[in-house]
Amino acid sequence: MDTSSPSAFVNGSLMRRYIGQKVRTVVQVIGSDVGSVVGKSTDDLQIFVKGSPPTTPTTYLEVIGIAESENSIRAEVKTNFGNNFDPLNYNELCKLANGEFKHFFI
Amino acid sequence: MAASLTAGAIAKMLNEKVKSEKEMMPILQVTELKMVQRARQNQETYKLSLSDGIQSQDGILNANLNLLVKQGKIQVGSVLRLSRFVCNNVQSRTFAIIMELEIIAEQCNIIGNPLPANPGKPRSSGQASTDQTQQQQQQPGVVSVNTQSIGGFEQQQQGRRSELSNGTVRYGVSNSIQHQVGERRAFDTGSEFPGTKPSVRPFVSSNAGYGSSVQERHGLTNSPQPQVGEKRAFGTASGFPETSPPVRPFATGCGSARQEQTRAPPRAYSRPPVQPQPPSMYANMGPVARNEAPLSISSIAALNPYQGRWTIKVRVTSKGELRRFNSTRGEGKVFSFDLVDAAGDEIRVTCFNDVVDKFFDMIVAGNVYLITKGNLKPARKEYNHLPNDYEIHLDNASTIQQCYEDDAAIPRNQFHFREICAIESMESNSITDVIGIVSSISPTGSIMRKNGTEAQKRALQLKDMSGRSVEVTMWGNFCNAEGQRLQSLCDSGVFPVLAVKAGRISEFNGKQVSTIGSSQLVVEPDLPEARELRAWYEREGRNAPCISISREFTGAGRQEVRKVITQIKDENLGTSEKPDWITVSATISFMKVENFCYTACPNMNGDRPCSKKVTNNGDGTWRCEKCDKCFDECDYRYILQLQLQDHTGVTWATAFQEPGEVIMGIPAKELYYMKNEDRDEEKFEDIVRKAAFTKYIFKLKIKEETFSDESRVKATVVKAERLDYSSDTRSLLEAMNKLRTEDANPESSNFRSGAFNSGIGTSGTRETSSVDVPRREFGLPAANQVNQFGNQHNSDSGPLGGVTLCDACGSNNHVFANCPSFLSEPQGQHVNSAYGNTPGRNAGGGMPRQHVGSY
Repeated sequence: MDTSSPSAFVNGSLMRRYIGQKVRTVVQVIGSDVGSVVGKSTDDLQIFVKGSPPTTPTTYLEVIGIAESENSIRAEVKTNFGNNFDPLNYNELCKLANGEFKHFFI
Repeated sequence: MAASLTAGAIAKMLNEKVKSEKEMMPILQVTELKMVQRARQNQETYKLSLSDGIQSQDGILNANLNLLVKQGKIQVGSVLRLSRFVCNNVQSRTFAIIMELEIIAEQCNIIGNPLPANPGKPRSSGQASTDQTQQQQQQPGVVSVNTQSIGGFEQQQQGRRSELSNGTVRYGVSNSIQHQVGERRAFDTGSEFPGTKPSVRPFVSSNAGYGSSVQERHGLTNSPQPQVGEKRAFGTASGFPETSPPVRPFATGCGSARQEQTRAPPRAYSRPPVQPQPPSMYANMGPVARNEAPLSISSIAALNPYQGRWTIKVRVTSKGELRRFNSTRGEGKVFSFDLVDAAGDEIRVTCFNDVVDKFFDMIVAGNVYLITKGNLKPARKEYNHLPNDYEIHLDNASTIQQCYEDDAAIPRNQFHFREICAIESMESNSITDVIGIVSSISPTGSIMRKNGTEAQKRALQLKDMSGRSVEVTMWGNFCNAEGQRLQSLCDSGVFPVLAVKAGRISEFNGKQVSTIGSSQLVVEPDLPEARELRAWYEREGRNAPCISISREFTGAGRQEVRKVITQIKDENLGTSEKPDWITVSATISFMKVENFCYTACPNMNGDRPCSKKVTNNGDGTWRCEKCDKCFDECDYRYILQLQLQDHTGVTWATAFQEPGEVIMGIPAKELYYMKNEDRDEEKFEDIVRKAAFTKYIFKLKIKEETFSDESRVKATVVKAERLDYSSDTRSLLEAMNKLRTEDANPESSNFRSGAFNSGIGTSGTRETSSVDVPRREFGLPAANQVNQFGNQHNSDSGPLGGVTLCDACGSNNHVFANCPSFLSEPQGQHVNSAYGNTPGRNAGGGMPRQHVGSY
């Protein structure tokens, strides 16, 4: 797998730590515009996803890209995570990945 | 002290102004106390005379108070306040039945000069020496209690003029006038009147009137009436004129007897304060005047075995089933029903044999009836769970009459609810009522009983405001009737309130409540508790976490114990006498494809097929040894040998039919045909491949088995479920939190030591020892990383320069003291070597740093 630019697991509140860096997160799609998607992060903050318009409407979307600000990402890769997704667990993951077990990750 | 007795109370009781504690609770003194053995009932009863300082009356203590007498708390002279009693007037005799009392003073001198109680007690005719009797007032002291005073005499004090109570057999315990005579004799000697011939006494007593005895002695058999007057002179209690008339007949009856005895030296009896004998003594001898007074309705609480003629107005709360039984006397029928009266008291009624025929059809639960004249017997607690010491047995003399106008005062159902958390601490096999919201209900299942019959059962979860939930099991008819209704209510989203009356608590994986024959289930009862529950549920209960006091009943009665595979070996599971049941979350890493199924006997044994291996008879038929039958077609059942693997280790397990189908996805028969008959190898392999490397939650049964000197620990898969990542993750998170908190108080936790240490212990290599908890959550491929991780750690030891790092794990966001690495699986040996001074914590490993990139 291409690990040249690792992306950190973030939720809404953790994004500010990685402004300008590559991050990945999962959002619940609330609405979509031309060229951007508005989503709700796993900790209930609003995230704007800029980039190629979404192909198919999905409930959960994983976005990997550069964090432009504390609530927007310029998406490079978008992955459909389907409808059955547990945001709670993902949120815990983000917290652990950036906290206690940070050394496991980037 | 005289002042403390309720003066005039006795008079009121005798005049029927005071019938029960509702009118007054008099304070009275015990002036006589006797123990009576009722031959019919084989029960001890204490009879006493109660005085208010002026007069006395007979009373009987209810059986539950016997202990107080035995302990000496109630003696002659004790001052009591009657807090629950009933005055009854039977055959013109008045006596009080005392159900509850307060002991004001245990010992006290006799207060006042109470006149003896009912006539008929041969007042110490024998006893009082003539002079005594003549001069003294009848020191009552001894109020002979109406019924037989066998042996009670001794209790009378010396100081008293013990009148001989002559044990008139009021209640028809007929036996023994003779008996009493004899007794009296004995008594006599004991009493102060040595000279008196006891024999006279009975006769004296047989006189209804007071005076009668005296006269009798002298050969008079006249009406007691005048005698009463006479006796008065002696100070006998005169208040019982009413007793005379009925006595009259008896007097005649006894006349003869008396005659003889009068030969005895009259002296002793010259002026005995003869008490008119209670007519009941002659109940079996002479004509008995039956009290045909109109039936007055009494309450269930007032029922007692000493009174045969009562009427109660009650509602039937539950009607039992008609049961037949076989006893030494032949066949019989029995049926019971429970009653409640307006006061809320309950009692059970039982009918046998022909009485059953008489009443069975008449009784309908919920209707109000007037029931008369039953027998009261002590309740058989093992069958009767109502809070009443008695139960009613109806006979042919009893009558039941339906009341067509409903009595709103009589409640429909009487419950004594307990909270679910209280049930947890209650004993097994005790009976209780419970009310709660049904949070879930499962469909009816049937279970084979030991005697081969099937039983229907249905389980539901009940939760209440105590924050606990319990599993309630319904048996038999309840499954279909109430069970169906509850199911439909739950399915439609309404979670109903269910009240269970008389459920039995059983201990089976925690506590459970089961229905028994006499249980009642009421769905959405109209009770204040139900309304409270509903309001609580709407408010918060719906989502409130409820701790279940019954563990999941998975059919094997096993608790959900999560383990990792290496624990099987480490903890020597399965080696004890009983098999161990555990749950593991693992992946199938290998499956043996040869012999994945066997030919099984399809014979149905109840609701399970026999499933034993059948042998091929050679001609296309199959024979089962156990059922001893031949079949043309046999079943094919899975017997999969699987290799299960999780992050800690590997084990072999065998999966039979049910889990086999879950894993493979198709029935064994199809697969068999596919392989052998159709020879469709590709498809077969495809299926097999799909099944492998899938993650499941396995419920395993571990047991050590011995095969000809060799014992192996075998694991059988009882159930295989696909892993639900979401919930599994949550439980892992919980486990992590638990570890964290436990680490805060350094106690070794089972989970920790179990899961993690075992990892360290068994796997010397680092490959499998590092905990993969966070990793698994993130869905990264588990196994491979471990290896790399381990290896990497080797090369990457020592802290980076310039940054404050945690000594233990090398991470830079905390210091040693709060190093989370203690929570994670340590790499025991390595850590110690690398970091030197790790504190002696058993988990003391460090999490070696790793770079995501290296993967």
